[in-house]
Amino acid sequence: MSLVMDILTICAVSAGALFFLAGTVGLLRFPDTLTRLHALTKVDNLGLGLIVLGLLPQTSSVLFAVKLVFVWLLVQLSGAVVTQLIAGAVRHHGADG
Amino acid sequence: MNLIKAGNIGEASPARWSDAIGSAVIRAIGFFCFWLILTRGDPGDVGPGLIAVAAATWASLKLLPAEQWGFRPIRFAGFVLHFLRQSIVAGADVALRALHPRLPLQPGFVTYRAQQPPGRKRNTFCAIMSLMPGTLPCGTSNDGSLAIHCLDVTQPVVEQLSMEETLCMGALGGARSDA
Repeated sequence: MSLVMDILTICAVSAGALFFLAGTVGLLRFPDTLTRLHALTKVDNLGLGLIVLGLLPQTSSVLFAVKLVFVWLLVQLSGAVVTQLIAGAVRHHGADG
Repeated sequence: MNLIKAGNIGEASPARWSDAIGSAVIRAIGFFCFWLILTRGDPGDVGPGLIAVAAATWASLKLLPAEQWGFRPIRFAGFVLHFLRQSIVAGADVALRALHPRLPLQPGFVTYRAQQPPGRKRNTFCAIMSLMPGTLPCGTSNDGSLAIHCLDVTQPVVEQLSMEETLCMGALGGARSDA
């Protein structure tokens, strides 16, 4: 059973790292602030979600597992709010304003 | 305070004191559980924890006064599953575009006239939309519609947004809102 869990951990964390890499590539390659925001929020949130999912089987207690899920939820929440604020500011004042 | 027609839910009475106290208790319990999770429930830390819980509850009631959301648990669970699936689609979509040699982007703005009037429910919808595939709400236009930034304007974005809003509001229910 622990072998199955370890394989799940390796697959999910590797996939998560790949998404973080893709998000960073997007951040560098995308042409402007708004498209870069897409890369940062969507890809990195999925990357973090997969890493949390992969780490869940390795946790020692339920409380710690819930804490990991909360970390992901808090990042989602701050991402959802902050990107809209940045996007709104860019739309009103331009990327340099 | 302008009362918004609740449409599907026909209750629009102002929030009563009992509602406010009930929601304060529920929020305080929620914050306490959150604090327990963060600190692993060390008994020595209960004092500061309780002070933090009281402060958080007060701030949350100030910033987000009690209101009825007509919350539907089963539909909400369905919506959470839908949200997780869409998060995967969103991440994979942007990742593939980022890694594609020709960088296939058609970025631009789309105007979306939301079914919900401005207020907390529409803000919630916008927050969820910013995590969904290809869309990023960027505030409100002068005529009150939402400006949505898209990675690919050739996609049927408005239809997709309309469907998502219906699903989202079905899960959160009709609020009696004073926003």
